[in-house]
Amino acid sequence: MSVFFHIIRITWQEMLEYRLNFVLWRVRFVLQRLVVYFLWWALFSTQTTFFDYTQSAILTYVLLVSIVATFVTGTKAYGVGELITQGGLSNILIRPLNFFSVYIARDTADKLLNLLFGIVEIALLIMLLRPNVFFQANGAILIATMAAIAIGIAIYFCYAMMHGLLAFWLPDVWAPRFLSFVIMEFFTGALFPLDILPKPLFTLAQLLPFQYFMYFPVKVYLGQMAWPQIITGFAGGVAWIIVFLCGMILMWKRGLRVYTSEGR
Amino acid sequence: MKDIKRYLSLWLKLTNQSFMREFLDRWNAGMFLFGKLLRFGFFTIFLFALFAKTSDIGGYTRYQMVFFFLTFNLLDTTAQLFYREVYRFRPMVVSGDFDLVLTKPMSALFRVLAGGADPLDLYMLFLYAGLLVYVIMQLGAVTAVGVMAYLALLVNGLIIATGFHILVLALAIVTTEVDHAIMIYRDLTMMGRVPTDIYHQPIRAILTFVLPVGLMMTVPAKAFLGLLSPWTVALSLVLGFLFFVLCHKAWRYALTRYSSASS
Repeated sequence: MSVFFHIIRITWQEMLEYRLNFVLWRVRFVLQRLVVYFLWWALFSTQTTFFDYTQSAILTYVLLVSIVATFVTGTKAYGVGELITQGGLSNILIRPLNFFSVYIARDTADKLLNLLFGIVEIALLIMLLRPNVFFQANGAILIATMAAIAIGIAIYFCYAMMHGLLAFWLPDVWAPRFLSFVIMEFFTGALFPLDILPKPLFTLAQLLPFQYFMYFPVKVYLGQMAWPQIITGFAGGVAWIIVFLCGMILMWKRGLRVYTSEGR
Repeated sequence: MKDIKRYLSLWLKLTNQSFMREFLDRWNAGMFLFGKLLRFGFFTIFLFALFAKTSDIGGYTRYQMVFFFLTFNLLDTTAQLFYREVYRFRPMVVSGDFDLVLTKPMSALFRVLAGGADPLDLYMLFLYAGLLVYVIMQLGAVTAVGVMAYLALLVNGLIIATGFHILVLALAIVTTEVDHAIMIYRDLTMMGRVPTDIYHQPIRAILTFVLPVGLMMTVPAKAFLGLLSPWTVALSLVLGFLFFVLCHKAWRYALTRYSSASS
């Protein structure tokens, strides 16, 4: 366990080494959310409801997505690609450490730091913009939201890790990562709630795992899902975790067979 | 004139090399291109989804909104096409390889700004230009003045985009530790996907006068639609030029701070 905390501490040190870079990275994060927030704010200047959403509901959605995104999608697993292509993976393999545990610890560090800054940033934004935010008071729904976020974190970890592990076979993993980012950005519901999409696209979005990264947890929080829907959503999420976990382990085992420690 | 010819020839050589490098892995290039197409398609779907519930947004119709979005894409992609090298500049500074650029008999700014055009963006430009013509036909009422003002302000937008890229280069030298300043620029310009005058104040004013995203992206399209006075067009051109001059001054200052680290 002490190794786990050591890795967390080292990851924090790494992240805060270049402080200006870190600050600007956070600025970027806030800016991305503000772009979406201001867009929706502008859209509501002429209408009181859009797709059955009130201004309060949509602005709460946008701000909550920011917090959920910072927690779910904060990961170090994407760096695995470079680790493999540059041979750095060997440094981990020769140590008495479990590769996935190292990355779970690194991700935990990343998420905690993101969450800390994310909450402060969102609190500042709420104070500055004074939006009419909806606060959920139902304890059961809050617990369900936490569970939905946990599902999102698990799926995203495996998903990001699988992208990194592609480097066992591909010399450059940036292109598939870019493509998946584009698809993910649309189907996570980062820009808008997915249920505003035309019916066929919304159905497709529900069949994909991406909704668990942002849309599903936030919809649960907003209380816009009935319990049977939430439970079905959980079942789907757990199924995706199993699929991605198996895929990730399979890729890891197969990948190690072809790993040549190139660059070392 | 002789200098222009020399730099044009240099640019063609560098671009040729960059294109060859980019197409070394066609599978990767194909995925990037497909990703760019998807990104464009997805936002268009979002815009159309919005218009399924309203006839106008901020007073703009569906085709006008698409026109603004296409103008944004045209400018954004042209800047990426020419200035892709900016994305690779920071490692050059950190490793000290920038020394090799400074010692060559050509403008260092030219080399690090325009020394690596991106062929994939060229494909996208053709698509946007085609779609733009289609949308303009749907808009109707095209005037010669509108077209001329649009073209002049597009060039102005590109000058502002050049200024932003120079600023990013300057920041990389001065701080050496910021590796995603260009992405902050990209995030900022994302606000120009829709006309900036739909935003509330003070965001609108900031996007027009402080971070001239509105001047870059929105003003050209508004001029085409005949929504700007000649004075506003002239003021936009002056502001665009001033912004560029300021950015260039920042670059000159940054060069004096270059410490040739790691070389």
